Amino acid sequence: MSDPDELLRIEGIHKAFPGVIALDGVDFDLRRGEVHVLLGENGAGKSTLIKMLSGADTPDAGRILVGNEEVRIKGAQDAERLQIATIYQEFVLVPDLSVAENIFLGRQPRRYGMVDRKRMEADAEQLLARVGVHVSPRALVRELGIARRQMVEIAKALSLDARVLIMDEPTAVLTTEETDKLFAIVRQLRADGVGVVFITHHLEEIAALGDRVTVIRDGKSVGQVPASTGQDELVRLMVGRPIEQQYPRQPAEAGDPLLTVEGLTRDGVFHDVSFEVRAGEVVGIAGLVGAGRTELVRAVFGADTYDKGTVKAGGAAVRRHDVGAAMAAGIGLVPEDRKGQGLVLDASVEENLGLVTLRQATRAGLVDLRGQREAAARIANRLGIRMAGPGQQARTLSGGNQQKIVIGKWLLADTRVLILDEPTRGIDVGAKVEIYQLVNELTAAGAAVLMISSDLPEVLGMSDRVLVMAHGRIAGELPAGEATQDAVMALAVSNPTTETEAPRGH
Amino acid sequence: MATDTLKSPAGTGGASGPGGLRRLLLDNGALTALIVLVVALSALSGDFLTADNLLNIGVQAAVTAILAFGVTFVIVSAGIDLSVGSVAALSATVLAWSATSEGVPVVLAVLLAVATGTVCGLVNGFLISYGKLPPFIATLAMLSVARGLSLVISQGSPIAFPESVSRLGDTIGGWLPVPVLVMVAMGLITAFVLRRTYLGRSMYAIGGNEEAARLSGLRVSRQKLAVYALSGLFAAAAGIVLASRLSSAQPQAAQGYELDAIAAVVIGGASLAGGTGKASGTLIGALILAVLRNGLNLLSVSAFWQQVVIGVVIALAVLLDTVRRKAGAAPVAAGAGGGPGRGRQAATYLLAAVVAVAVVGATSLLHGGAQTAAQQRIGLSLSTLNNPFFVQIRAGAEAEAKKLGVDLTVTDAQNDASQQANQLQNFTSGGLASIVVNPVDSDAVGPAVQAANRAGIPVVGVDRGVNDAKTAALVSSDNVEGGRLGARALAEKLGGKGTIVILQGQAGTSASRERGAGFTEGLKAYPGVKVVAKQPADFDRTKGLDVMTNLLQAHPDIDGVFAENDEMALGATKALGSKAGTSVQVVGFDGTPDGLKAVEDGTLYASVAQQPRELGRIAVDNALRAAAGEKVSATVKVPVKVVTKENVAGFGG
Repeated sequence: MSDPDELLRIEGIHKAFPGVIALDGVDFDLRRGEVHVLLGENGAGKSTLIKMLSGADTPDAGRILVGNEEVRIKGAQDAERLQIATIYQEFVLVPDLSVAENIFLGRQPRRYGMVDRKRMEADAEQLLARVGVHVSPRALVRELGIARRQMVEIAKALSLDARVLIMDEPTAVLTTEETDKLFAIVRQLRADGVGVVFITHHLEEIAALGDRVTVIRDGKSVGQVPASTGQDELVRLMVGRPIEQQYPRQPAEAGDPLLTVEGLTRDGVFHDVSFEVRAGEVVGIAGLVGAGRTELVRAVFGADTYDKGTVKAGGAAVRRHDVGAAMAAGIGLVPEDRKGQGLVLDASVEENLGLVTLRQATRAGLVDLRGQREAAARIANRLGIRMAGPGQQARTLSGGNQQKIVIGKWLLADTRVLILDEPTRGIDVGAKVEIYQLVNELTAAGAAVLMISSDLPEVLGMSDRVLVMAHGRIAGELPAGEATQDAVMALAVSNPTTETEAPRGH
Repeated sequence: MATDTLKSPAGTGGASGPGGLRRLLLDNGALTALIVLVVALSALSGDFLTADNLLNIGVQAAVTAILAFGVTFVIVSAGIDLSVGSVAALSATVLAWSATSEGVPVVLAVLLAVATGTVCGLVNGFLISYGKLPPFIATLAMLSVARGLSLVISQGSPIAFPESVSRLGDTIGGWLPVPVLVMVAMGLITAFVLRRTYLGRSMYAIGGNEEAARLSGLRVSRQKLAVYALSGLFAAAAGIVLASRLSSAQPQAAQGYELDAIAAVVIGGASLAGGTGKASGTLIGALILAVLRNGLNLLSVSAFWQQVVIGVVIALAVLLDTVRRKAGAAPVAAGAGGGPGRGRQAATYLLAAVVAVAVVGATSLLHGGAQTAAQQRIGLSLSTLNNPFFVQIRAGAEAEAKKLGVDLTVTDAQNDASQQANQLQNFTSGGLASIVVNPVDSDAVGPAVQAANRAGIPVVGVDRGVNDAKTAALVSSDNVEGGRLGARALAEKLGGKGTIVILQGQAGTSASRERGAGFTEGLKAYPGVKVVAKQPADFDRTKGLDVMTNLLQAHPDIDGVFAENDEMALGATKALGSKAGTSVQVVGFDGTPDGLKAVEDGTLYASVAQQPRELGRIAVDNALRAAAGEKVSATVKVPVKVVTKENVAGFGG
């Protein structure tokens, strides 16, 4: 209790939401100059716990002590006063303000009552340099990619002079290189005496960065172990049972091509992309963020248009920029931005599941509501969606369960080619494996899966073939046997623009 | 709210009986607010909770409700439709015009009207879906276009509505009003569309997350087209009901109704962000507005305070719902404990209590006069109080009522013929001794006065006549004569030659028509005076200023201005600046205090003065005599006079 190095202590925190007990007795502590990893499946209560610290929510019971004094954190101002800064999973930046304005939002340096733009930009420049990102403080956040926005968030946290820095899955959207840069910053902060609460699903990051690990399961803290603990043991603690295999891919017999893309081009975005996906196959698309992968699959699905080329499904051409035609041809898309594009958050699980089949279930303008409800119940059961009932709002589910809904709505529609864009981003190990199993079931049943992922081990572990994109082109294709992290990265950073035909093979 | 309907079976599984009712109320803040209002008003006014009055409320809610049902579709899909009021007026005008002026068979005319509304909606939908215009802008444009077209088609005057369609405004079996039936039918259709159809389910998805809906294969653009078309169709239906109640299609009808409709939808629990909303909620929202207006009429709350009370209640009703939503999170889980949940419930009850106290307090505080049974009660329905002339009428009437010891209730129809019909209906069911009415429109007020006739309540018209119904007396100044006098005064001052412009009153009002006609007639005697421009400035001072400024750009050398009322004339003198009264002569109409002061100062050359206080006084006098069964003369003319600097001293307010 009287440990002078202790920054923060949480004792027996409880918090209930309607229908859910989010936290049911969590203990946690943080010392100066350490990285304390918070580990747990999605829905275990990590996000709720950090909301208690950032003032976004208040506990029903339990104590929070900062520097051995009990505190009540009722709002962001309280957290700021206690020098606790939080970087959320979903960024809280204002897209139409500049980087500098975002960093100093609400605390802009003032001069004669007006914002001292010059000083603000100079200060922002320093902070940005400290996190090692080259972006103008005057650039609008809207123009930045997701990785750079993350860096702006970190710069913002630094500007608060935080003693406690909470990072909720900061690496989920970063490439390996960017992650390394982030780790360097975190280590520097640790050396400066900052206590860092670090949430991640990447187990390998724990050993690389962490000092201690607290594992949370079902709203309870189930154990505190050193960061050097083995991954299998961590998974066991987190899931409550051992997981035999992280990537349980069971290759199926490859059949006829279900999806053929030829010479697909959208000027300035992707160029001359050709590939095919066969029945029973999982084809991975790897590449750096910004390589044009998401844009490519959105065009294939008809969500966006393209300039040249053809998309064929089952031998017949699919009309361009027509989602309906793509769906009729059996193509489905699980978009990258789950909340922004995949779900109607305020609608129920049941309604979200029935979205794709809504038209099929309509006779003479009337929806067969009962049929929809039964189908939704069936698929929810099959996917093991954890919810209070089919009427629960999608918003209130954990990320993993939300993703299952997005996939589930396509399963209901008998999709032949399912495109998964970052299917496991921000999803815990347990749910990931369940989604991989789903992919196996799909391919075993003769469907095909096209999967984009920035998580290299995932692409390598789950794909039968890997396409690597760089600068909007296919830089190369690797069969599962030859695909290694090094081989993929070599292609991902290559510059295939000068060649007319992308090299195949390795 | 789709999610609610789905949730309730699971949620209320255990609860039943009184618990279920409490839950229903907690789940629906608007319903609670409505019940609170009804209870409070029943306690305050013995006339409120009668079958007749409740049916009146139904009729009065009908138009807003039907419009609001259409808007519900739009708001659920995260759009907004500002054009419904104008589209309603346009549809009704098309019906009346095609059936009455063009001789189209009535059935076809009705279809044409419905088609008109639908096409307006389709245009909105097209601009939004394919033109990528923000819904606010697209429908704002349509608001103006549809209103303008209905004025163009009707040439500014109300058109009589075909007899057979006017039945829609009547009752079945003498007691069941058809508008209520139409409202219920449209409500059921709305609920059905929202809950059961592909279109309805798509609305929730599109409103909740448009991109997710698109990527799930919903044809968002096409659905939006249908959504706005539906809204237009409902607006047409509302327009037909509105016009049939008044037996007249008014080009200026339903102005501002779009805001009432939106308010009804939001009070009913929908979010302007889209994705939520229910037909039942919208109905409750429309009923809250109607109950409030009706109750405030019955309680003789001052016309000015009525607007304040209505605004406060709208805010409180939505606030109640917001609190309810937070409390709606009320713990279902075991162990999660009653502590905070109970606190929130308490907050909901507290807020409900605040609403009740506010309504009761406001109404009793603002109560026009002590409602002792001994006193005779009469009602005065004014077309507007937004103009000193009518305020003067009220002052005259109130002074006379006080002198004679009667209780006078004054209402303000805000230049809306259908609101006036509602107020007269409320007077009639309130059992007043007699009614004085200053019609917004002489034709449109007919059916409501007929109803008063049937109830044996004598009606006295003031300032404007009532067509197609019996009035005990009409107390008015002669507008046509006034127009003639104005023409003569201006022409003589100009020495029989020169160029002038005319500022017209609100298009479609009888005052504007008659004064204009009289002026044109009077000017015939002076061929040397040329009218170079005629533009409407809606009897409004600011508009008078703007329109005059614009006219001066085109005609810098005019010699005279005739404005159909003093307000516009005063606006014109502002625009003219130092020219007013020197190189340009301005003649106004009404002889309001401001107008007379300007005459005294010389900026106005003359005002054709009515004697509004006299109008009010004589009207009340006649109304009381008619109520006592005395004979009164059918028309009482209060003289008008041209007031110039010479004789202005003799006229004081």
